Amino acid sequence: MAGTLTVRIRRSDGSGAAATPPGPPRFDTFRVEPEPKMNVLDVVAKIQATQDPSLAFRYSCRAGMCGTCSMRVNGKNRWTCRTQVEKLGTDLLVIEPLPHYPVIRDLAVDMAPFVESMRLVIPQFVPAEPGKATFAKIGSGSRERREIDPHIECITCGNCYGECSLVETNKAYLGPAALNRAFTLIADSRDGAARARLELVNGHDGVWGCHTQFNCTEVCPLGISPTRAIQKLKRKELLHALTPHLR
Amino acid sequence: MDNYEVCEHDVIVIGAGGAGLRAAIEASKEGVSVGLVCKSLLGKAHTVMAEGGVAAALAYADDRDNWQIHFRDTMRGGKMLNNWRMAQLHAQEAPDRVKELEEWGALFDRLPDGRISQRNFGGHRYPRLAHVGDRTGLEMIRTLQNHGIHQGIQVYMECTIVELLKEGDRIAGAIGYWRETGVFVVFRAKAVVLCTGGIGKAFRVTSNSWEYTGDGQALAYRAGADLIDMEFVQFHPTGMIWPPSVQGILVTEGVRGDGGILQNSKGERFMFNYIPEMFAAETADTEEEAARWLKGDKHARRPPDLLTRDVVARAIRSEVRAGRGSPHGGAFLNVYSQLPAEVIRKRLPSMYHQFKKLGDVDITSQPMEVGPTAHYVMGGIRVNPDTQESTVQGLFAAGEAAAGLHGANRLGGNSLSDLLVFGKRAGEYAAKYAKDRSSGPRIDEGQVREAQQTALAPFEGNGTENPYTLLRDLQTVMEEGAGIVRNKADLEQGLENLKKLVARHRDVKVEGSRHFNPGWHYAVDLRNLMTVSQAVALCALNREESRGGHTREDHPDSVTKWEQVNSVVRLRNGEMQLEHARRPDMPDELKALLTLPEGA
Repeated sequence: MAGTLTVRIRRSDGSGAAATPPGPPRFDTFRVEPEPKMNVLDVVAKIQATQDPSLAFRYSCRAGMCGTCSMRVNGKNRWTCRTQVEKLGTDLLVIEPLPHYPVIRDLAVDMAPFVESMRLVIPQFVPAEPGKATFAKIGSGSRERREIDPHIECITCGNCYGECSLVETNKAYLGPAALNRAFTLIADSRDGAARARLELVNGHDGVWGCHTQFNCTEVCPLGISPTRAIQKLKRKELLHALTPHLR
Repeated sequence: MDNYEVCEHDVIVIGAGGAGLRAAIEASKEGVSVGLVCKSLLGKAHTVMAEGGVAAALAYADDRDNWQIHFRDTMRGGKMLNNWRMAQLHAQEAPDRVKELEEWGALFDRLPDGRISQRNFGGHRYPRLAHVGDRTGLEMIRTLQNHGIHQGIQVYMECTIVELLKEGDRIAGAIGYWRETGVFVVFRAKAVVLCTGGIGKAFRVTSNSWEYTGDGQALAYRAGADLIDMEFVQFHPTGMIWPPSVQGILVTEGVRGDGGILQNSKGERFMFNYIPEMFAAETADTEEEAARWLKGDKHARRPPDLLTRDVVARAIRSEVRAGRGSPHGGAFLNVYSQLPAEVIRKRLPSMYHQFKKLGDVDITSQPMEVGPTAHYVMGGIRVNPDTQESTVQGLFAAGEAAAGLHGANRLGGNSLSDLLVFGKRAGEYAAKYAKDRSSGPRIDEGQVREAQQTALAPFEGNGTENPYTLLRDLQTVMEEGAGIVRNKADLEQGLENLKKLVARHRDVKVEGSRHFNPGWHYAVDLRNLMTVSQAVALCALNREESRGGHTREDHPDSVTKWEQVNSVVRLRNGEMQLEHARRPDMPDELKALLTLPEGA
């Protein structure tokens, strides 16, 4: 096993999301003895429990199902509960909050911009046939489900939003996760709000804002490709725009 | 007095897991104003971790299934201690609650004919669990959350409730603080629904996330409500045991439902040696019969690997004690020899990735190492089975925070259906209750001030106790005193140690400001965790028998007279009181269902 870990953690004073301090960031350095197959979440939890009880970060499930423990570790956004220290190949860890979010304190960020982006795309299912007594009979191997399924597993951890360089330059851009969600509903034949959604995600704050840089696809811990969903949406947008002229 | 904000609603729901979301949706549908308060971010509640599925007698995967058999399975799994009325309502209403989720956009896995697929699970006579791979909870939470927000429910995230407020005997609301700023907030409400989940954090090895600190049970208890059956804690037989950092994380029962088998270090399928009398008639007694069952032979009986969780957890513990454990002190769970690799990856994707990422184990070619982990508390807030109202007027509870449905042991899959069935009922009746009250309740400033002082105490004084150390010590006390197997001496010692911990908690000291201060959050949560831990140990000491999730090595058998008795705990004159109350009698037509002949 590797020797003692050096852990540099970016701190902020805790004066609130509205007051992310300007100027150069402050980093505190901690030393942690590694344990077998230790993950990065264990490292920050150990620091909190034994060295600095005020160190602020979120986590919840520890099992890669909630995404709340996301942080930027050695330059990449990650679920810290699923990031084994050994596999980083270094005993220097540099831990920062997810970028593109206001910092509440230390490693805890304000998720509000992300939550708002999700809300804007009509994230709820709108039944095409409301009040229909029976549920849809859908074959598990149907073409439609094969198209949707690779995109449905998103747990809204927000790592992609923090990695997307378009979000960085345009705060109004809906971002990868929200557009991915829109795609799963627009492609679902049971849903009745596809047209409304297509109009909402049209334009430069929507699908056309994506420059296909694949940052979101590379960072997604679940291997989802929002880029792919967005390209499919672009095609649907074109068809939607052309349909009246094709009649 | 510290400043506080005020939010007003007819109904506030505390906790935004499956039960809380479902309650909020139903209350909102009744036309009242609803606030939903949660301790973590919305969508991250424990329900999201539910893997295997939701139990409902839809009878799609096997047309012999019906609510009567689901009722029977639930009662037998609960070792007859269940509230029969809740078990009946649950079995009858679960299918409609599942279908309703699909109307709201969920999509469960399908049978080849396009209907909802159902998987086998421990203690369920027929394949009964509707599921989405092994990520059923995610689909449920997403569906409920999006549907609920669309209905206009007001959500308050990252808010810790520290006390319920009362006006006379009735509920008047609750006081909490924003975790981000530390500023207090009073929710004035005619009715409160507690959907705060369980108490898993009382144990070191647990499948539960940090939120599970018994908040709802402790809040209700301090408000004067009854808790029942707190001695019944479910240790799930299959948690990860290696590496140390992931110890306790759940391995879904779906692994065994889909054919996975348990083996000891000698490669023996030891569960054949642990079949209880009660289940002998419906459990396969040879590997050959178990193999036929897996292939879909309807005449073959279920393999013993799928016995109820209490039975399997004790069996693994016995094997380890007899020196036949796996290298890290558990059992081997083997699915690779039972199913092709691509089927494992399709049906158990989360498990595949979990073991690959966290343990460097490929479950399509290697066995998993598993052992018992604290998973669920069957006990909780005593509720009216139809309305979910607690013994305090205007205070309702649903989901894991409430008690009754599961008796002494919960069947896998019955939790997600519990959330839906009783979340809906709690929301409906809380809204009706609120509508019957014309004027809003009055907030008592004295209660607000007292709650604030208690919550802020860790910042005051010269205490020296660190909240993280206290939490670790509490977990050790509970594992040693009131863990998977208990006895009188250990429980008495445990109760003594808990008293000392409560005293130490008065000296807890938190540094820094109130602004997103995790040490303070822990200190506040610990108060609740200590209360529920005392309730568990007290009830466990006084139930002198073994039943379901409560195992006493000094009283190893189930005793008929205890079958009639619920343990009731309440706060009176500043003391925790225990009473043994007679269980409600079951009507004859339900009794008859319990003795249905095999295959009926």
